[in-house]
Amino acid sequence: MLLCNAPIWQKQLVFPRNCWGCHQSLLNAHLGLLPILPALDIVYWPAVVDFKYDSLKARPDGDILVGFVEGSLRTNEDVESAKLMRQKCQLIISFGSCSCYGNVHGLANIWDVQEAINRKFKEAESITNKDTAGEPRAHMPGFASKIVPLDEVIKVDAYIAGCPPKPEAIISAVAFLLGQKPQPKADLAFCNDCVLRESGCLLEKGTLCFGPITSIGCSLKCTSDGKPCVGCLGPSTTVDIRVNKLGEMVKNIDSLSSGDKKNLYEFLALFLNVPLMAGFDLAGDILKQIKHSGAPQTPLADMPSDTINIASSIMTYLRDHREFLEISNVCDTCPRIINSKSQMTRVKRDYEGLPNMEDCFIEQGYLCAGPITKAGCGGMCIRVNSPCSGCFGQTEWNVDQAERFAEIATKGFNVALSKDELLSQIKDKIGFAEKFTLAANKNYR
Amino acid sequence: MVKEIEVEPVTRLEGHGGLRIVIDDNGKVKDAQFNITSTRFFEKFCEGRYCEHVPRITPRICGICPIPHHLTPTKAVEDAWGIKIPEPAYKLRQLLQNAKQYSSHVLHFYALAAPDFLLGPFADPALRNVVHVISKMPDVGAMALKMMDFGQKLCAEIGGKSVHPISAIVGGMKKPMDEDARDRFLKQVDEQIEFTKKTVEIGLKVVEDYWDVVANVGVVPTYYVGMTKNGVHDIYDGDIRIVTPDGKKIDYDVHDYLDALGEHIPEHSYATHMYYKPAGYPEGIYRANCLAMTNAADKMATPLADEALKAMKAKIGEVSHHTFAYHWARIIETVEAIELIKKYLEDPDIVNPDCKTLDVEPREGVGVGVTEAPRGLLLYNIWSDAEGICKKLNLLVATNHNIAGIEKTLMHVAKQVFEDKALDGLKLPDPWIK
Repeated sequence: MLLCNAPIWQKQLVFPRNCWGCHQSLLNAHLGLLPILPALDIVYWPAVVDFKYDSLKARPDGDILVGFVEGSLRTNEDVESAKLMRQKCQLIISFGSCSCYGNVHGLANIWDVQEAINRKFKEAESITNKDTAGEPRAHMPGFASKIVPLDEVIKVDAYIAGCPPKPEAIISAVAFLLGQKPQPKADLAFCNDCVLRESGCLLEKGTLCFGPITSIGCSLKCTSDGKPCVGCLGPSTTVDIRVNKLGEMVKNIDSLSSGDKKNLYEFLALFLNVPLMAGFDLAGDILKQIKHSGAPQTPLADMPSDTINIASSIMTYLRDHREFLEISNVCDTCPRIINSKSQMTRVKRDYEGLPNMEDCFIEQGYLCAGPITKAGCGGMCIRVNSPCSGCFGQTEWNVDQAERFAEIATKGFNVALSKDELLSQIKDKIGFAEKFTLAANKNYR
Repeated sequence: MVKEIEVEPVTRLEGHGGLRIVIDDNGKVKDAQFNITSTRFFEKFCEGRYCEHVPRITPRICGICPIPHHLTPTKAVEDAWGIKIPEPAYKLRQLLQNAKQYSSHVLHFYALAAPDFLLGPFADPALRNVVHVISKMPDVGAMALKMMDFGQKLCAEIGGKSVHPISAIVGGMKKPMDEDARDRFLKQVDEQIEFTKKTVEIGLKVVEDYWDVVANVGVVPTYYVGMTKNGVHDIYDGDIRIVTPDGKKIDYDVHDYLDALGEHIPEHSYATHMYYKPAGYPEGIYRANCLAMTNAADKMATPLADEALKAMKAKIGEVSHHTFAYHWARIIETVEAIELIKKYLEDPDIVNPDCKTLDVEPREGVGVGVTEAPRGLLLYNIWSDAEGICKKLNLLVATNHNIAGIEKTLMHVAKQVFEDKALDGLKLPDPWIK
């Protein structure tokens, strides 16, 4: 848990606990931290800083600007501290795959928690006081019966997935949250320079174009080519009159074409400079919340109200319609050859032989979670000749992931097995396809 | 009136816990507890997994030392299946383990411990942290960051990811190091050795400044557990070595760990209490980690580190019970780690593609893997069925080996502080950072 004051907002940022890997990943930014850390006014971060729990409890509600919540919710205390953080923070970031999806600890949901307690505190071979041993209860918090993702316990405003998240994603998320971007770049909106201003305005033709709220000053290439403005230069200080048309379209996003819908996420990313990489994922209308809480001098709050309303509506829509988030999978970013000279004729275990470095793992016979896993990691495992195991989370939720894997693998890859044959050769389906996400997959409730 | 002092949470450590000290009407310390309130049941949910996937799950036990939590279960499965690994894989793993040791020890010294020494024990808690150290001593801060960066990047290069690595596999390693990467790290290693020497200077100055504390506070005789290979300090390969409070050394083959290591389940902590079984509980409570390792080792594996070990032993004895000497021992281990990193980077086997035994077959069996993680002995005992599915797992995790020892030390120090008022006359230096 990290809570800190960000001087730009004259308010604060928080982090909790688990394996420390998310903190290590933040520290892995090393020299990149030098400009960032002193800019944060940290109010709670047990991993690094000495403030105690009481100091957090004593703060007024909503006193802290941003809380990073990391770790899976295994104990009752974990659940309670998450609730406390929600109370004290204006924005909550679900930080890392533990809080986003439950992580590997969620695999314990296969059993009744009492069986897990017994294994650790009564049955382990090395225990010597078996007569008296059992779950420790003096000053201990007790265990939640099942692990659930953070957003089932408290409202979450944004997610940074990964086990751990990439340092650069954390840094850019922090920079974003600190309000260093986006700054309105120009007073006038793109429409003022637009080549289609006098005739052929795309908005008037019913195509979604963000010209009315975007800063002037680009090469005008998009509209010159007949394509809409996607907001590259960020917000302008004033809006063009055509904002009314844009606002109307955004109020009724459902009726937009699917092509327009697919552009929404790109727009948000470019316009707000949201770090898209490595699963930084906004849930809900952060802009509205910031405006509501009245944090002074935020560049976001400085935007014209029309602009804030449009961006907020899009965020809310995307939160509820995740099918329009452009989600790539690990295969999209994997350098290996698909439809290679190799072909899967049976499912191999990871210890068998040694895969070559060129061909797709699946086609070489190995189980690789790439096709069902969100991109964002940069393929670190693949680079050292290890198949993906799924730590960035899934591209589609609440379905049987092993089955979905078999479906995709037998259709899109050089695989000589039928879907059922492939499935029958995976002995540990949950361990392969749900290692990081079981707790978040409603298919298993 | 009975007084209860609570510290919640203990900060600047990985994991999660609090302290509780109870003082009675007469000012006597009645109880001192170290309450660890988190556990996640890895030993349960690894059941039913492919044995070769266990090392891809368990690194999540610790994000600071995920490398030992990747390599040790791999060794345990290899032991259960009777698999030998090629020499290049052994060397790659040694290099990986030492790269982690290096960055973890530097992180511990500079980011977790140094704020206590550099600002002094009475500094404002709001400032007693690495962020403040970096802003006040930017040269030392930048050096520390460069050292951690080197170790973590080397971990990422060999392990694929520095946090939660994936490159070890039952039978060896998935890939050797690339030659150009090896050359890149070799170019930096001499600078790192200089940084380490500078760290030794800072460490020795701290010991000198705080000598009154080192020599008098928290000097608690306990047993120790570590690992040595034929008596030489080794963090990847060797036997379990117990050191008794009076300095006797007893070696155990890792397969006989249950003869040596007992686990007592306390009422007030999810982290259990480990002790030396033949001595009984609580008499046999031991400590692990770097001081336990230097107590256990007859010598270090490399020349500079061995010289440093001899210097330490000359000052505080062959077997030291000085809790504050842990920092000193940690620096000696850091020296060894960087010397070994250089040695292995210079070894042509590191880029040898023959790093994986190709014919690996599972079999029903029980395996034990042991390494020395940066915070202590790490032991995996795995049961495999004939198809290589994990049937059962017993874990003795590094930090866990220290819990009972920390509590014993806490009791000792609480008595020193509250009953003997031992802190009053202590000689403390002027803080480096004011």
